[in-house]
Amino acid sequence: MTSRPNGEPLVRLSGVNKWFGELHVLQDIDLDIARGEVVVVIGPSGSGKSTLCRAINRLEPIEKGEITIDGERLPEEGKELARLRADVGMVFQSFNLFAHKTVLENVTLGPTKVRKKSKADAEKRARELLDRVGVASQADKHPAQLSGGQQQRVAIARALAMEPKVMLFDEPTSALDPEMINEVLDVMVGLAKDGMTMVVVTHEMGFARRAANRVVFMDGGRIVEAAEPESFFTNPRSDRAKDFLSKILTH
Amino acid sequence: MSPVLDNIDLFVDGFLTSLEIILWALAGTLPLGVLIAACRVSPIPPLRAFGTFWVTTFRNTPLTVVLVFCAFGLPELGINRSFFFFGVLGLVLYTSAFVCEAVRSGINSVPAGQAEAARSIGLNFTQGLRYVVLPQALRTVVPPLGSVVIAMMKNSAVVGAFGVGGDLWSTGQRLTSALGYETFPIFVGGVAVGYLIITLTAGALLQVLERRVAIAR
Amino acid sequence: MSFRRGALAATMTATALVLAACGGSGDDTAAPEPEVAEAPEFEAGTTMAELAEAGTIRVGTKFDQPGFGLENLEGEVEGFDVEIAKIIAGGLGIAPEDIEWVQTPSAVREEVLEGDEVDMVVATYTINDTRKERISFAGPYYTAGQQIMVAADNDEITGPESFTDNPDATVCSVTGSTPAEQITEYLASPDQLVLFDEYSQCADSLSNGQVDAVTTDNVILLGFVSESDGEFKLVGEQFTEEPYGIGIPKGDVAFCEFIHETLRENEDAYTEAWEATAGQVEGTETPELPEFDECA
Repeated sequence: MTSRPNGEPLVRLSGVNKWFGELHVLQDIDLDIARGEVVVVIGPSGSGKSTLCRAINRLEPIEKGEITIDGERLPEEGKELARLRADVGMVFQSFNLFAHKTVLENVTLGPTKVRKKSKADAEKRARELLDRVGVASQADKHPAQLSGGQQQRVAIARALAMEPKVMLFDEPTSALDPEMINEVLDVMVGLAKDGMTMVVVTHEMGFARRAANRVVFMDGGRIVEAAEPESFFTNPRSDRAKDFLSKILTH
Repeated sequence: MSPVLDNIDLFVDGFLTSLEIILWALAGTLPLGVLIAACRVSPIPPLRAFGTFWVTTFRNTPLTVVLVFCAFGLPELGINRSFFFFGVLGLVLYTSAFVCEAVRSGINSVPAGQAEAARSIGLNFTQGLRYVVLPQALRTVVPPLGSVVIAMMKNSAVVGAFGVGGDLWSTGQRLTSALGYETFPIFVGGVAVGYLIITLTAGALLQVLERRVAIAR
Repeated sequence: MSFRRGALAATMTATALVLAACGGSGDDTAAPEPEVAEAPEFEAGTTMAELAEAGTIRVGTKFDQPGFGLENLEGEVEGFDVEIAKIIAGGLGIAPEDIEWVQTPSAVREEVLEGDEVDMVVATYTINDTRKERISFAGPYYTAGQQIMVAADNDEITGPESFTDNPDATVCSVTGSTPAEQITEYLASPDQLVLFDEYSQCADSLSNGQVDAVTTDNVILLGFVSESDGEFKLVGEQFTEEPYGIGIPKGDVAFCEFIHETLRENEDAYTEAWEATAGQVEGTETPELPEFDECA
């Protein structure tokens, strides 16, 4: 198990509140994520964990509170927000690969249009990343021709191509057939080992044990408990965490 | 002799004039319609309001009224251009509302995740629309957009009544009213055939396009 | 803009009402009542016998041509063409109130005769050879002539030749009309001709500077000039002769001759009809009944 890194928090959420109409989905969230830290967010469905993840790159705007990334406050809209998002990689549950583009084009679009890299440089880097996630041979296919596991690995490569400061994973394995889950988790564990700062919303307790520095348990829009994985899984403090763990670990 | 063949040179001229009207109108209305659609889905509220206003105005106004505005209203405001310009302008404005709505329906057919993914790699709104959403919208847009375009081709006949002489429709009018030919053979054998050549060709091109964009998926 | 158009249409209508209301000598309040023959005798089997027997006649005329055939707000048509038709009907023993008026725009004038929807057409109908292939004409009962109308301050256009000399000058007329055809031979380029559905649109375009001139028959133009409050004027002489004829089914020589005879017998009514209608427009001259063409 990697030790918990030190230093300035890379991502800081303070007093974050969000409502969907009447529904108070994020309630007074305070969370610091250090550089190089891997945080796994778990919780029952509807607990607000996905919303929390999406709020960090403002795919969900928040009504109250403040989110900073690398000391910079998340801008409202426009150019500044786009620039900041380029530094925050995001991997979605349903992959969201650009359906009309090849695998290679999926990975090079951001670097060429946002980072203004030359096409040749972007492709070279893209092939390295595709090789790293194990789908180099699929570079010229369209997403629909790939399996779910392959698509999700391409999505990870697409995010990495932007050389992000932090990677967000929103239930990255929930839409996968069971036999494909590990190929994606293995890539993620590799990233974690390489020191990538990661926020991972998942139900994969195995991943949490293998790669996380900290587990954050959410319920009802609040962070109920945060602890190192080992102590959280063996000795949860809150009743709600105990209840939740008893339900998922017996399966 | 057939009244159409007797006047084939007039029909060829009329055909070319109609084609010219249509091509200019297309060149104007497609980009404009896409632009208005972009306004309608934009994150900026004033742009959205402008797009909605535009569509509401031109979709709910009869084409003839738009043309009256262009041909008689603009000169009244001191804008004097050729009637050909005003006619094409009227067609462009009117049709852009329908192009916008066809494009917008296409944009809405692209899963929201695509736009989110575009944003998450740092593309701004315009880039996301241009590189990710619109190319995919094209697939579902081609059939409804085709209907809009073909309707516009037929609507171009109305422009002939607003000072633009010599298009297919006014050629038919001229031959029947002024030169005394029978209405039926002139309009069925000449005018209708002229428009059919244009619209059927357009229909065929649209089918090719539809197949192309379907493969590009 | 729409106000102006509306205003123009309204004044045109109002003029027509005034024309109708004024009457021939100025002190009458209605158009002259033509003489209605009492039980005229016709050879059996002729059109005249059939119509007289029926006691009604269907007349195609325009409903939108001030001075010649215009529907007023009460739904009655009035104008010179209408009065001519009443004179002919009178010769058949048919009273004006027994005439059935059928709105007949330029484009359908041959069709309504061929399709037996009307018995005759009196609708500013210029006699020409193409038309004679499908129908026959009686008359002419009036010779109109085409002229040019321009803005009062325009000194550059002095007649149809000005369009030959100045290829930038534009002229407006109505789609599918004879005047639109006849101006083409003076044009340097077909782009000089601007066509609308109605002359009022041409007048609007002249007013707002979109066209340099309007051309059609003198009578129609005079109506616009007199309404324009000095904004428009006529230039040059009449450069065409537009003999207005009465359209009848092709080859009905007897009916044609009957019409000629009736008009000749009613020259006074003819003059009164003019003065009560188109003749109300300032600057017009009361015409003599023209020489008739031979019936064929």
